[in-house]
Amino acid sequence: MGRPKALLPFDGKPLIAHLVQRLSQRFSDIVVVAAQDQTLPSLPVTLVHDAVAYQGPVGGIYYGLRAIRGTAAFVTSCDVPFLQLPFIDYLVSQLNHHGRDYDVVVPVWQDRLQPLHAVYRRSVVPHLQEQLAAQRLRPVYLYDTVPTRKVSPAEIERFDPEGMSFLNMNTQADYQAALAQWRTLSVPISCTVELFGVARLTARTSRVPLTLSAEATLGDALTVLGVECPALLGSVLSADEAGHASLQSGYTCNINGQDFVRDAHTRLRAGDSLLILSSDAGG
Amino acid sequence: MYGFHGRLLRIDLTTQSYTWQDIESSRLTAVLGGVGLGASLLYDHAPPGVEPFSADNPLIFTSAPLVGTGLTTTAKYAVVTKSPLTGFIADSLSSSFFALELKRLGVDALVITGAAEQPTYLLITDDGAEFRTASHLTGLSAQETEERIRHAVRTEEEAEVRVAAIGRAGENLVRFATLSNEGRHAGRGGVGAVFGAKRLKAVALRGRCRVAVADTGAVEKIATTLRERSVGPQTAKYREIGTVANLAVFDRLGSLPTYNFQNTPFAQAEALSGESFITNSFSQTHGCAACTIRCERLFRSLNGEAQRLEYETLFALGPLCGIEEPDAVLRAARLCDRYGLDTISTGGTIAWATECADKGLWPELRETGLSFGNAEAILALLPDIAHRQGVGAILAEGSRLAATRIGAEAEGFAMHVKGMELPGYEPRSLKTMALGLAVSPRGACHNRSGAYEADFSGQVDRLQADAGRGALVAASEDFSAVLDSLIVCKFLRKCFDDFYADTAHLMSAVTGWNYTATDLKQVGERINTLKKLFNMREGWRPEDDWLPPRLLTEPLSSGVAQGVSLTPDELRLMIQSYYAARGWNEEGLVREEKKRELGL
Repeated sequence: MGRPKALLPFDGKPLIAHLVQRLSQRFSDIVVVAAQDQTLPSLPVTLVHDAVAYQGPVGGIYYGLRAIRGTAAFVTSCDVPFLQLPFIDYLVSQLNHHGRDYDVVVPVWQDRLQPLHAVYRRSVVPHLQEQLAAQRLRPVYLYDTVPTRKVSPAEIERFDPEGMSFLNMNTQADYQAALAQWRTLSVPISCTVELFGVARLTARTSRVPLTLSAEATLGDALTVLGVECPALLGSVLSADEAGHASLQSGYTCNINGQDFVRDAHTRLRAGDSLLILSSDAGG
Repeated sequence: MYGFHGRLLRIDLTTQSYTWQDIESSRLTAVLGGVGLGASLLYDHAPPGVEPFSADNPLIFTSAPLVGTGLTTTAKYAVVTKSPLTGFIADSLSSSFFALELKRLGVDALVITGAAEQPTYLLITDDGAEFRTASHLTGLSAQETEERIRHAVRTEEEAEVRVAAIGRAGENLVRFATLSNEGRHAGRGGVGAVFGAKRLKAVALRGRCRVAVADTGAVEKIATTLRERSVGPQTAKYREIGTVANLAVFDRLGSLPTYNFQNTPFAQAEALSGESFITNSFSQTHGCAACTIRCERLFRSLNGEAQRLEYETLFALGPLCGIEEPDAVLRAARLCDRYGLDTISTGGTIAWATECADKGLWPELRETGLSFGNAEAILALLPDIAHRQGVGAILAEGSRLAATRIGAEAEGFAMHVKGMELPGYEPRSLKTMALGLAVSPRGACHNRSGAYEADFSGQVDRLQADAGRGALVAASEDFSAVLDSLIVCKFLRKCFDDFYADTAHLMSAVTGWNYTATDLKQVGERINTLKKLFNMREGWRPEDDWLPPRLLTEPLSSGVAQGVSLTPDELRLMIQSYYAARGWNEEGLVREEKKRELGL
């Protein structure tokens, strides 16, 4: 593509800067692992370089984990412009799943493990070191060694129905397609909130059209709903100090008459109908 | 004894005599009160194979340990008998001051057997029973009967009584006749017809016994907590709108049955929604005695009369019959209350007859003008059913028996389970509920389990069947059995932190006996097993746990559940999972070891 992927212009800035900006919304400690002689623009990150070249993803993960200040890290490559923060939050949360601790949380998408969109505990560093010494450069060896939580496509689809998180760029055509996709996603989406029962009587309307950002979540929609229908705040919706709204106990949300959802990180799609109703639907 | 009285009053209408009998404390701890005690007494007091309309079929009223303790929503009673609609157990609940008066009689149960020679009402006090003529009350509604009796006793004896009575439908043995008190109904299963068969018009109560609890301080503390929670967000739907709020939601979710379960959704759902009723014709809010939720809503008809309306009535007399006008539903509900007709079975039976008319299967219906959406024709049928005149004489039998008169094709769309018409939950788009309806001991019932909760919460994929549903339905039935035997209104159910642990603590404080959460869970299982044992004794067969053919052959053709079906194999899979969860054999029969385990 004529230049390092990290430096490809994207949304008015180098792709690496774009990623760092996005991840900094969630993480205060960001480590960038560069090739031995690679030069990068100035970024608010900890920059480390491969000590040995051509060790593949295992090498990058190893050097990155060694440099983090915390006990675990989300690891990604630098050519994925469509990272989904709610999905990353979910991956981090899965380090403990049903009371069991895991050292790695890795998604499975289109029948393939995604080691460069995964969460690793720092405690796996010695294992990675052994792998590098033995020239076992495939991440899957690690997964056979330490407790690993594999996240299913069904779980992924709750946050990222099209698997945009895994869309990377290896050719000029990929790059151009990603730019086109980015322009599409920058267009706001329209959703409709349908109110039932107490919510309808309180808001004095049965439908509220919402315009949301392309990557809006259920939590985002509820926050906008609270702005559009302030009467709902305090009875149907609660708002935290930052102004983020959520449903009070006693209420639930169903999307399109199909799925009951509780997770505020659930991604919405253009045209979705959000049904706000009593959580006690029978009686 | 605390919480209970430890005795029952047995009344024989034939000999006009009564006796008190002790109830073993072991029985009370094993099944509590309410439906549990009712099922237990029914098993022992009903001769095996008894005909529902025979004098020997016992009519059992039961109180419960929490009644009269001041705990919110506990002013309830159960009435249990062998159902003339299903031939199996009928256990209905009603509430309010009659329930409190029953507890004050100093008994845990009334067991009424025999049959009077002339129309009779019973005046029961803590001194015994008095057999009074009810000839002057014949033909009156339950409400009129209640007013007459209360006025007479007040005038002649300067005393207050509480009354439960039947209307014309009960007198005429309509198989889905209700028993009513203070505007509340023990609605399902035809309890009112058993009254009629005994020529018993009403029961009037006057008691003086005080209810004692073992640990007053602990009970008051729990009562305060529940009272506070009962006015929180968990009950907002019931407090602000009532159960009519279900209609718009069910319609949107593809779960509102319409046109005799031929499809969903309903084009005029908005006009019939609870929200529209509240906005356009709200009249009053009512609550049962000792209830802080107050879920009852009265709505104003065009003629100015106020009428109670609940979701099931709205569904059955509205979309199920294709009725679009809110006022027509209110008028139909009023007539059902006046005659003492169960609104679900009435709507279900009429919807079935309407489809018969549509298909030309029942020529006599031609002159009635019956068709889906023809409110006037449907309204005109209600008195005919109550008086058993014209086609009403056949409809008074309920859809199952009526269909046998019309023919095999008509039986295919008679929407009942075990003879009881289905409530307003579309089984094809609510798979857990489908199983709950199929296996319920009293027939198609939405109250003896809350199986729909799994479907409406996202806990399961409501459009798909799987083998996990059996355990969910069994657990829901057991939960409901404990609620209905304590008795606590199910609208309070989400106000507990840990239902079994909390109610075990409560029961220990009320009775002084030491209950654990495990004990109460087993009580729930015991009660449901006991009901099944009664049904087995009365002729239950595996094919009785099944759904109407329509639901297993016709997919839903529109709405969000378009194309969704329920196959016989899917239903069979879920039923087997239910029997397995219950520890019954593959034919659904209770094993001997299970009986021993539960002390039955």
